[in-house]
Amino acid sequence: MTMEKHLCPYSGFLACNNLFCESGQRLSEILHLCSNVIEKIAQGDTSEKIKLKVERYAVQRLINSINKLADEIEDLINLNHELAIGVCEHSDVLLRLQEGDFSAKASEDSPIEIVRMLGSVINKTRDRFVEYIDKIKEQHEEILKFYEQQNAILSNVGTAIIVIEEDMTIEYANAEFEALTGYSKQEIEGKMKWTEFFAEDMLETMKTYHKLRRISPSLAPRQYESKLKDRKGNIKRILLTVGMIPYTKKSVASIVDITETKKIQEQLIHAQKMESLGMLSGRIAHEFKNILTPILGFAQILYNKIEDETLKNFTQKIIESAEKARYMSQQLLSFSRKEEVEGIQKINLNKYLTDFSEFVKPIIGRDITLQIKIPEEEIFYEINPTHLEIILMNLVTNARDAMPNGGQLSLGLKELSLDMDYHFAHPLVKPGDYIVLCISDTGVGMDEETKQRIFEPFFTTKPKGKGTGLGLSTVFSLVKQYNGHIHVYSELGKGTTFKIYLPIKEKVDFSRLDISAFKGNETILVVDDDSQTRQYVSSFLKDYGYNVIEAENGQQALEIFEKNKDRIDLCLIDLVMPGIPGIEVRKRIKYIKPDAKTIIMSGYPVNLKDIVSVEKTLSPEEILIKVRNILDEKE
Amino acid sequence: MADKIFDYRGLKCPHPILKLSAQYPNFKKGEIIEVIADCPTFEKDIKAWCNKLGKTILNIEKQGNTLKVVIKL
Repeated sequence: MTMEKHLCPYSGFLACNNLFCESGQRLSEILHLCSNVIEKIAQGDTSEKIKLKVERYAVQRLINSINKLADEIEDLINLNHELAIGVCEHSDVLLRLQEGDFSAKASEDSPIEIVRMLGSVINKTRDRFVEYIDKIKEQHEEILKFYEQQNAILSNVGTAIIVIEEDMTIEYANAEFEALTGYSKQEIEGKMKWTEFFAEDMLETMKTYHKLRRISPSLAPRQYESKLKDRKGNIKRILLTVGMIPYTKKSVASIVDITETKKIQEQLIHAQKMESLGMLSGRIAHEFKNILTPILGFAQILYNKIEDETLKNFTQKIIESAEKARYMSQQLLSFSRKEEVEGIQKINLNKYLTDFSEFVKPIIGRDITLQIKIPEEEIFYEINPTHLEIILMNLVTNARDAMPNGGQLSLGLKELSLDMDYHFAHPLVKPGDYIVLCISDTGVGMDEETKQRIFEPFFTTKPKGKGTGLGLSTVFSLVKQYNGHIHVYSELGKGTTFKIYLPIKEKVDFSRLDISAFKGNETILVVDDDSQTRQYVSSFLKDYGYNVIEAENGQQALEIFEKNKDRIDLCLIDLVMPGIPGIEVRKRIKYIKPDAKTIIMSGYPVNLKDIVSVEKTLSPEEILIKVRNILDEKE
Repeated sequence: MADKIFDYRGLKCPHPILKLSAQYPNFKKGEIIEVIADCPTFEKDIKAWCNKLGKTILNIEKQGNTLKVVIKL
């Protein structure tokens, strides 16, 4: 700051050297100047400096002090501003970091050490944070990959799988579950409840299991059978395996459709039951016949010798009862017998049924109308006519009895070809051409329980004395003798339909075949618990040149195979055996030697997926063809 | 036309820039703000603030002691 010029007798105070000037103006000017500078300093403006040099010591000291104060205040202001800028900048960086902007970086060039350090701490913290985030991202990617892998496993496992939340909502469903139920993932996931897929009779059990499993997983069964209702309302039999997902209240369930398996199992059980009943009743009937022979014989002698009319009458009653018992024993024997049918004739079934319908008209009565449906083309079948009559008469009589208030009885005949699809659903019925006899009524019908038992000997729904309970068992036995099959459809109050499937066989004339085609010198392991069957199969195999090793059970078979796996070319394994079942024996043999050749032998026609099987009841030639085909890898 | 106006007249530096920084949570990227102050060192402060924080000064207008600064955030 410079001083303004003003009038002074001593040519202006700047040039005036008289410190004690009478006007006193110079000192006053200096003090004003100092005051102005101090005021500016007070406002934060330290740019003004007093550049005067005076001789008077006290005044010069004041000027120097003011200039020094200005410098010091300027330093403080600069420090203050640097601090403020540093705070602003670092707070800006921290706020950006808080918002997730990790590109934000604090400067570390402040002249103030603490601000520089703060910037450095912020940057290091940020770097550490970014490092953690990168690690979390890596882990997240790993989890995503793992999740995708798990998802791929669940999608490709080939079994329906769902994940169920605690409130029974389905969180996840795979493609198999979509196929099983007919609903899409979009319709199911997060929208549909687990319970919506179950048949009503299973609901309470399922809910109980669901709750129990969440209280303690061991309280609910891990695996159980249930019934599933699909989109169309079809009920499917299923096998469920359920488990809890750790750290959650969710459970995972795998579902296998066992509808077909159960149906096949039931058919097999029924066939086995009928077979057992046949054996049992045959044995009893045979024993009874032995007992009845002397009873009848001696009663006859007594009858001839006794003259007393009353006693003669009593003896007559014994003879009549014994005859009745012998007739029933005969019936039972016919139910159980398996011998070759005799008296076979080629019958024109169209004509036979037309004649038969005329014959039964008086028997069925006027209240029942008889309808006959036969094709124009004539159908011939080789059958014992008595057997055909027994079959038809029994079924027609039952139909009549089922319609006490009248109705309609239909007799039908047609030729039919059953394909592999039918065979898969009814494994006891072989695919091929069949004659179908259909006897249908509009009577009272049957419930499921009755339907399951109608072919059992002595099972009857007729009043006491009206039926022997042997009619349908005889029909069953006769149809089986022709390798036929009976299908029964019945609805309570609507009626019943019996369909008799009789196979049209084109018999192979083995006498014309080259016997040498069956021969071989391979080694065959024959596994059967029944010694007679085992020896029978072994003997004809040996006759045709094969080396045979026998095993009487699964365990023995496995031990033999383990020791001779390189020598044994084929294993013939019985399906039903005590101990390890045939299928399991085959599985373990395949485990020992994956390319081992096997044939499952069964007493009944069975369909086992991807497994070659043969019926033991076939002729040796038929079994040998199968053996040769497998050995030569033609099947 | 600024989106927001901050009037810090009567406040001594570095109060205006400290107050402005405290407004950060309310700022949106790209927003235009106008800051008015009359502290003689405000011009130096606001220029340093913009430089350090990466903001752009669009205009500076002086009317006597009062300074109007338009900034793009």
